[in-house]
Amino acid sequence: MGGGGRAVVIEDVVKTFLVRGSPLTVLDHVSLACPPGSFIALIGPSGCGKSTLLRIALGLEHVDAGRVLIGDEAPDAVRRRGEIGIAFQDPALLPWRSVTANIALPLDVLGRRGTARDRIPGLIRLVGLAGFEEALPGELSGGMRQRVAIARSLVTDPDILLMDEPFGALDLILRRQMNVELQRIWLERRPTTILVTHGIDEAVFLADRVVVLGGRPGRIVGIVDVPFPHPRPTTMFRDPAFHALTDTVSALLAGEE
Amino acid sequence: MGTGRRATALTLIGIVALWEIAGDLDLVASGALPSPSEILVAFWRDKADYWPHILATVRTAAIGFVIGNAVAILAAILFVRVPASERLARGINIAIFALPPIAIVPVLVIALPGEGARLALAALAVYFPTMTAMTVGLREIDPRVVDVVRAYGGGDGAVMRWVRLRSSLPALLGGLRVAAPNAVLGAILAEFGSGSRYGLGAYLLGSLGRADPARLWGIGLAATAIAGLGYALAALAAKRVTDASRAVTIASGAMPPAKGRGQQRIAIAVASFLLPFVVWWLLLWLGGLSPIIAKTPLGVFEYLFLPPTGASARERLLAALVETLPITVLGMAAGLAVAFLLAVLGAVRPGIVRALLPIALVTQTMPLVALTPLLVLIFGRGIAVTVAITVSVTFFPAYVTLAQGLAMVPRAAFDLVGAYGARGWTAMRLVALPASLPWLFAAARLAVPRALLGVMIAEWLATGRGLGNLLNQSRGYLDYGMIWSVALVSVLVSVALYQAAVMLERVATRR
Ligand SMILES: Nc1ncnc2c1ncn2[C@@H]1O[C@H](COP(=O)(O)OP(=O)(O)OP(=O)(O)O)[C@@H](O)[C@H]1O
Ligand SMILES: [Mg+2]
Repeated sequence: MGGGGRAVVIEDVVKTFLVRGSPLTVLDHVSLACPPGSFIALIGPSGCGKSTLLRIALGLEHVDAGRVLIGDEAPDAVRRRGEIGIAFQDPALLPWRSVTANIALPLDVLGRRGTARDRIPGLIRLVGLAGFEEALPGELSGGMRQRVAIARSLVTDPDILLMDEPFGALDLILRRQMNVELQRIWLERRPTTILVTHGIDEAVFLADRVVVLGGRPGRIVGIVDVPFPHPRPTTMFRDPAFHALTDTVSALLAGEE
Repeated sequence: MGTGRRATALTLIGIVALWEIAGDLDLVASGALPSPSEILVAFWRDKADYWPHILATVRTAAIGFVIGNAVAILAAILFVRVPASERLARGINIAIFALPPIAIVPVLVIALPGEGARLALAALAVYFPTMTAMTVGLREIDPRVVDVVRAYGGGDGAVMRWVRLRSSLPALLGGLRVAAPNAVLGAILAEFGSGSRYGLGAYLLGSLGRADPARLWGIGLAATAIAGLGYALAALAAKRVTDASRAVTIASGAMPPAKGRGQQRIAIAVASFLLPFVVWWLLLWLGGLSPIIAKTPLGVFEYLFLPPTGASARERLLAALVETLPITVLGMAAGLAVAFLLAVLGAVRPGIVRALLPIALVTQTMPLVALTPLLVLIFGRGIAVTVAITVSVTFFPAYVTLAQGLAMVPRAAFDLVGAYGARGWTAMRLVALPASLPWLFAAARLAVPRALLGVMIAEWLATGRGLGNLLNQSRGYLDYGMIWSVALVSVLVSVALYQAAVMLERVATRR
């Protein structure tokens, strides 16, 4: 553990699923280099393979060709040390565990005891769930459950942070708020971050680099570097330069080059 | 719901009233059916006698319950962690499910000293329902949560510890609900067959010779009440736990089952067939029992085939089998037919069945050994009583299975034939009967072991024929070889019938 992330390098990855016996290529020679401490946003149409790419980066999905390196190791080894934090697209909470206990699950699995738990109350406050510490997932709204998952992804103080549409179920105000918080956390600890999102403005606001994926099969159609220095104020959402960049990303998404 | 409950209550009151009148006027089999008030009076008169027996039964059932469930839970965990182990243990699991408990009581009494035999039978009675429920519960987990555990480096052990164990809890408690009355029934059966001094089974045995139907009924009802109480306690625990922990959303994908290669599969199947014999042999070897009383598989073979007396032993065994087998199949067929009629009736006229069901439930929780003398009082000692007993033990699980099957027939199918003017029985014939056919075999699978148990108990207690009688006689003659042989043959017959039902079911569902 410790400050500053490590490079995540995805090299020429091909991923094929067998769907009812016939192969479906989901990722077609995708390469992606994330320098240490960088913030990459991944954007693309639904079903283009973003979640799959994230699972590959995590080492949960085997690849048909290519490889993934974190620092100079395979993701499995890094994962086992608990250095990767992940928020899946689906909150996937244990229904019998309270909010606090769900956030603590990674610590339980890693066998970390003692002071590791001290940060949980702060994380609960961070995601705006103060007062719901002992609530069960069944008693929370969809957006609240998603915030529990966000807190859970941060509980190990990770070097690598992977987030799959973490703010998808939140209202716009809360989403902006969470964007600012995520930026603050990232600036503090500088984990190498990959954020999957459908929000173009969110991607440009947070990331050093926005990677646009195209669908069927998934491949990279464009990369947009975001030059603005951090920390970025929320007034940036009204900045013409900001809008120029979001327009570039939309054009790439729409396939206009 | 409310009217259904009221109908049930009304039926119950009606039945008790009729029972009271019939009993007071000695209408059934000249006094074989005492009235509820007579039974209560007899119970009050004998109440001092009851307590030690009730305590002994509850004790045996409780300890057996704990042991059997502990083994079942550990086995389920092993089966899920190491899938090959489940295939390996298949032979043992089927044998335990299918064995007619009465057939192995004498063997257990030989092999285990003192209380051991009774505890073992109670434990065996709870093992199967708990093991199957727990295995299913451990398997059916949310794959998304598994991803979270794996993302933090958790392996199979961590998934078991943090996800599977807790999510299996509702299923486990569902299994315990079935297991609790089973433990009581197993304990009573063991007391009955083992000649112990205390326990309701022993009390029943001691009361058989006396012309006191009211006491037999009292014992039967007391046993039913204890078994019912076990069920109620387990159901209560299940309800408290399940309420809080339902999954919030449904997972999209299920975990794919692992598969082995062809050759390996055959090897495991053969090993799983041999394993029960190995365990049998090993247990005796560990127990260090004299080979004269405790026969290994080889010992049984020697007894039947080597000495000059072997031929006569084989003859007696075969004669008994020829008596038992047809009546088992006949009784089972009758039980399935009753279940089928009732299920179809329930689909067409739900009210009637809902009113009748509580009575059926009571006869189900009444231990078979307690029910048998009562049926003997009513039906005499001929074939009729055997069939009556077999029907009464087989129809209920079969009915539940069939009713579930019929409930799964889509309403739209009924509506469709209804649109063409088919009503009631015609709709039944066109839609429900074909749809429920596969379920009939599933029901048969459940009914097989109970049918054999029913027949053997009837033979042991009443008719003096067949395998049950041969077993009882051999106990009297200290004919150890025959005791083991009958136990082995009964289990094999039961497993064979069970496998036949499984095969028929496969053929029927493949279409
Ligand atoms: N386990 C699987 N088996 C078969 N096909 C799969 C599997 N997982 C994903 N796919 C397929 O891979 C493709 C990409 O899926 P993925 O979840 O990565 O998309 P996504 O970009 O995250 O989409 P969304 O934005 O809707 O979340 C889809 O066509 C999906 O059907
Ligand atoms: Mg996705």
